[in-house]
Amino acid sequence: MRVVEIDKNICTGCRECAKVCPAYAIEGEQGQPQTINTDKCVMCGQCVQKCKSYVSIVTHGYDAYEKVRKERGIPESVKEPLFAAHNITHINEVKRALADPNVVTMVQAAPAVRTGLAEEFGSELGKLASARMAAAFRALGFDYVYDTNFAADLTIMEEGSELIKRVTKGDGKLPMFTSCCPAWVTFMERNYPELTDHLSTCKSPQQMQGAVHKTYGAEINKLDKKKICSVSVMPCTCKEYECSREEMNASGERDVDVVLTTRELAWLIKDAGIDFNKLKDEEFDNPLGDFTGAGEIFGVTGGVMEAALRTGYELITGKSIPAIDISDVRGGEGFRSADIQVGDLTLRVGIVSGLKHVVPVLEDLKAGRLNGYHFIEVMTCPVGCVSGGGQPKLLMDTDKEKAYKSRTHTTYKMDKDLPIRKSHENPSIKKIYKEFLKEPLGEKSHHLLHTHYKKGAAKTIK
Amino acid sequence: MSKYSRYVVADSSKCTGCKACELACFAEHNKKSNGVGFTVGTVEVPVTPKLYLTKLEAYCMPIQCKHCEDAPCLNACQKHAIYRTEDKQVIVDENKCIGCKDCVMACPFGAIAILPKSEKGTFKLQKDKEVVKVASKCDLCEGIEGGPACVRVCPNEALQIIDADCETLAKNIRAAEGLYASRF
Repeated sequence: MRVVEIDKNICTGCRECAKVCPAYAIEGEQGQPQTINTDKCVMCGQCVQKCKSYVSIVTHGYDAYEKVRKERGIPESVKEPLFAAHNITHINEVKRALADPNVVTMVQAAPAVRTGLAEEFGSELGKLASARMAAAFRALGFDYVYDTNFAADLTIMEEGSELIKRVTKGDGKLPMFTSCCPAWVTFMERNYPELTDHLSTCKSPQQMQGAVHKTYGAEINKLDKKKICSVSVMPCTCKEYECSREEMNASGERDVDVVLTTRELAWLIKDAGIDFNKLKDEEFDNPLGDFTGAGEIFGVTGGVMEAALRTGYELITGKSIPAIDISDVRGGEGFRSADIQVGDLTLRVGIVSGLKHVVPVLEDLKAGRLNGYHFIEVMTCPVGCVSGGGQPKLLMDTDKEKAYKSRTHTTYKMDKDLPIRKSHENPSIKKIYKEFLKEPLGEKSHHLLHTHYKKGAAKTIK
Repeated sequence: MSKYSRYVVADSSKCTGCKACELACFAEHNKKSNGVGFTVGTVEVPVTPKLYLTKLEAYCMPIQCKHCEDAPCLNACQKHAIYRTEDKQVIVDENKCIGCKDCVMACPFGAIAILPKSEKGTFKLQKDKEVVKVASKCDLCEGIEGGPACVRVCPNEALQIIDADCETLAKNIRAAEGLYASRF
């Protein structure tokens, strides 16, 4: 399938994208149009963020823009510059679903989306637009405005329980690696298939939410799951690939039907003629739109780790974690580790931010040098999903540091301002276990919320 | 104050042709007039830079105005739309420019392009609905904090601001040092 591409007619061959590609997938001579080696590409979209080679009236003429826009299936309402490196848009599928009276639309948006979306409407960098995004979804006509943050809380229940099982009962390989980031999972499957037992079996929050939409969501809303179109908005270009994986159909249907990036959501809002800046804040729908601060911090590096520790601590010790802000796991690009005291247990955790930094960690693991680690979080993009390939693209890279910092700050502030900051305290999480899932790692969870990984030789993505 | 106007020049051995300079140039010049923010989604008009990546077989570099001391464009402009500031920079007044292209003809470097004029996020139109096009060239980011955006954003530090006075002095010193060292 096509996810990220470079348009040969527009590419100047500068190879600036090759410098940021964590998979060394961009090939070509300096000064010549580049191609993406799809056997290597993990579809993270960092090249899309980097590319500045735009369709120009000076270089390509006055008619070129319209031609490229049409070729890419981008709505006529879009006026912004188009670049050589781009992701394939699925906006028209979403528009069709919204316009079809026989289709019930359920939407979810990842935590990082709300830290970037407003930038596309002229705000300062990292301005929070969570409740405003919910209002935009409703104005667009989505029938159920749910939230990936709910599934992030659900992920913590499952992944936290899985970690405890692996650590205390010796049931499963250690260290356990997070599995939320589809580019990372793809990289692991392709390059270190012998290590995939180390990956958590948990699906990503997007896929958990999708599986829940068409089962529990259909049940409580008395809907035929076949009529549901499950739309997800992600800061990520790889999520479209993730949702199209053949095993992602736990509900009996494709769990997530279509993915838009944060940038494409902005297109959709503009295309519908909605004045985003004039929208009044609204709430997400219950119960699959209820979330805690722990769910929100999934958007930044170290966030999954911190959220897991907040719940894991309580599950293991039966006591509340003394300090809810775990600053030891926060930080920027690279590999960092910390020892976290959980009752009698010293939990050794590691956080990888930026996929390039995972290679030495995996090589150490293979060589038996990575001793004592229990849990390692890996995110492909520089500082986690807030810097994802589908996020608003900066016109000037000199603003990058400020953008990353502001989006990260907004994420932690939102967490701090929420009344509930631990996943297991989310009343709707309690409800879904009581009414539907029964228990973490139970039979239903196993079927809907967990997955398995490819172990064979590297698979070509076509 | 310098005796001469300053200008930006690119080093073709460092330039990769990424166009970050063109995009930054456009972004900085359209923040106020066209509501351009930090991200691509805030742009609603064609990208009209004031420097132009020039790509040849073996190398590439952006070409921009040298702010000539005896500026052919300024001398050629019959509408007095090109003027020199106190800092000696040569500037196009887009409100006076009629797009006659005399400056394009006069410039020996091709540093001027005739590009559409946008205001408040839309094209400015003439009576016959034709888009207004005016001369567009480097103004050395006059009035923009931090100086020329192209220099700031270049990922390869291929662009620099040249001050002819400093250039002469630095080269004089180097030549003197060379002569001094070789006297034995």
